[in-house]
Amino acid sequence: MSEDWLTGPILEQLNSGVLVVDEQFQLVYLNTFLQRHSCVQLSDVKGKSLFKVFTDVPEAWLRRKFASVLELQSPSFSSWEQRQYVIKLPHLRPVTSSSQFMAQNCTMLPLSDPAGRRYVCLLIEDATDAFVYQQHLQITMQKLEHNNRIDGLTKALNRRYWEEQLKLEVQRAQRYQQPLSLLLFDLDKFKQLNDQYGHLGGDSVLIELTARVRALLRDTDWFGRYGGEEFGIVLTNTALAGAMDVAERICLAVDSTAVTFHEQSIKTSVSIGVAQLDATGERAHEVLIGQADIALYNAKRDGRNRVVPFSAGETEFLLKAN
Amino acid sequence: MSTVFSEEQRDCLQELINVAMGLASDKLARFLNTFVHLQVPAIELVNSSQIPAQFEAQYSSTEAALVSQGFLGNDGLRGEAIVLYQLDNAHRIAALLGYDTDSASELEMLTDISSILTTTFLNGLAGQIDNSLSYSAPRVLSSRQTNVTEALIETACHWELALKVDISYQLIDHSFNCDMLLLIPGEAVLNIQQILDRIVEEY
Repeated sequence: MSEDWLTGPILEQLNSGVLVVDEQFQLVYLNTFLQRHSCVQLSDVKGKSLFKVFTDVPEAWLRRKFASVLELQSPSFSSWEQRQYVIKLPHLRPVTSSSQFMAQNCTMLPLSDPAGRRYVCLLIEDATDAFVYQQHLQITMQKLEHNNRIDGLTKALNRRYWEEQLKLEVQRAQRYQQPLSLLLFDLDKFKQLNDQYGHLGGDSVLIELTARVRALLRDTDWFGRYGGEEFGIVLTNTALAGAMDVAERICLAVDSTAVTFHEQSIKTSVSIGVAQLDATGERAHEVLIGQADIALYNAKRDGRNRVVPFSAGETEFLLKAN
Repeated sequence: MSTVFSEEQRDCLQELINVAMGLASDKLARFLNTFVHLQVPAIELVNSSQIPAQFEAQYSSTEAALVSQGFLGNDGLRGEAIVLYQLDNAHRIAALLGYDTDSASELEMLTDISSILTTTFLNGLAGQIDNSLSYSAPRVLSSRQTNVTEALIETACHWELALKVDISYQLIDHSFNCDMLLLIPGEAVLNIQQILDRIVEEY
C-alpha cells in the first residue's frame, strides 16, 4: 500500500473517532481523537476488553450490534437522535453549547486483516452541533406553541384554543359522567370606561382583572378571553352550586377593590352567567355556551355586578320570544 | 434517456435479485439461528410517481413504518433503499434480534431491522456484479405520527424509476412481510442498464 504515509497521518488527525476491536471485543486500535477525548493511551489499553476500558458503554446493546456486523458482514448504524452517545465523551464546545456530552453518529463496519481475522471498526462522528440546533428548535417550537394559545394582552388563553379545550372537556365530562360548568363574564360598561380613561386605561383594567380572576381558579380550570371584554371559564368536575360559588368570589374580587391607573382609581365590576352542562351530542359545547350567554344577558338586564345561573325555563321563554 | 428495461435486462436483474435474496436469507438464518424461507421476490419496475398509490391500501394505517437508507457503489451505481413494513411485524423480528421493548427506542429498533435487511440484500447484489456498496445511516421517514403515503410522495418525486421488490420472509413460527423499494435516479438507471448489458454479453 503506497499511500500508507498518507492514510496514517490523516487517520490520526481526523476529527472523528476511530476504534477497532477484534471478535472478542478486545481493543486493537484507537485513533488520536478518541485517545485524547477519553484520556487513554492506546499502549495502555491495547488488548483489553472494550467494556473494561469504556465502562459506561451500553454493553448488551453494543454486543448485539457488533455480532450483527461480524455475522452479516454488513455495516450497522447508531444515530444521536435515538441514542445520544455510544461512548460518553466531552465535546469541543463545552462553553458555548448547552449539552454536556458529545452527540454521536456512529457507524460500525466489518473489517478483515490479510490473515482473514475479523474485526469491527467503530466510527464516531461528532454531531453535537446538530444536537444543539435541534434543542434550540424544540425550545423555539414550544414558545411558539405557547404564544399560539395565549392572548397577548391579558395572558389568558385565546378564544380559539379556549374553545378547543372547552370542546374536549365537554367530551370528557360526557364520557366519564362528571359535572362540568361554564362561566361567561363581561366587564360592566367597558365602553364608558374606555371613553373616560382612554384605551390604555381600559387595557390595564383588563390585565388587572384577569390576574385577580386567575388567582381564584384551580390548575384544571380553563380561563380564556372570549371577546373584547368578555371572558370564559371552564370549570371541570364542578356542578352548578360550586360554579356559583366561584362566580360570586370573582364578582366580589373585582367589585371590592378599584384598579389603579396613572394614580386614578377606576371602579369596575363584572356580570357573570353560569351554566352546567346537561346537553348531549356533538354540539353540546355550543349549547352550553348559548345557555351561559343567556344567563349573562339576564345578569346585565337585572342591573349588572351580579351572578345569574341559567335556568331551563328561560330558554323556552327566549326561544318563544325569538 | 430511456428508463425502459429490455426483456433481457429485466430477466438478468430478476436473476441477480433472486440470488441476492438467497444469500441474504442464508446469512439471516445463521444470524437469527432459525430457518429463514424466502419466497422468490416479485420485482417490478415502476415509475416513481405511481408508487404512493401502489402502497396506499397496504400501508395507509398509522401502524406502518418506512425507513430509508442511501447506497453508493462504483460505476455510478447509487440509489435509495426504502423498507416498508407493518409495526406489529417489526416487533416479531425485534424479539428474534434480542430486543426487549424497553432497552431501545422503537425508532432505533426500526432502523436496525431495516438496515440489516437492506445491507445484507444489497451486499449480495453488489457482490455478483463485482461491485461494493457504502451506505448512509438509515433514517425513519415515517412511523405512527406521519402518514406513510405522504412520506412516499415526498420521497419518490425526486427519483425517476423505482424497482419494487416484494419480500416475504418466513421464519419458523414467525412470518415477516415487508416491501423493499429501490429508488434509482435517472443517470444511475443508465449505468445499471450498462452493467446488465455487460453481464448478458458475458453469458
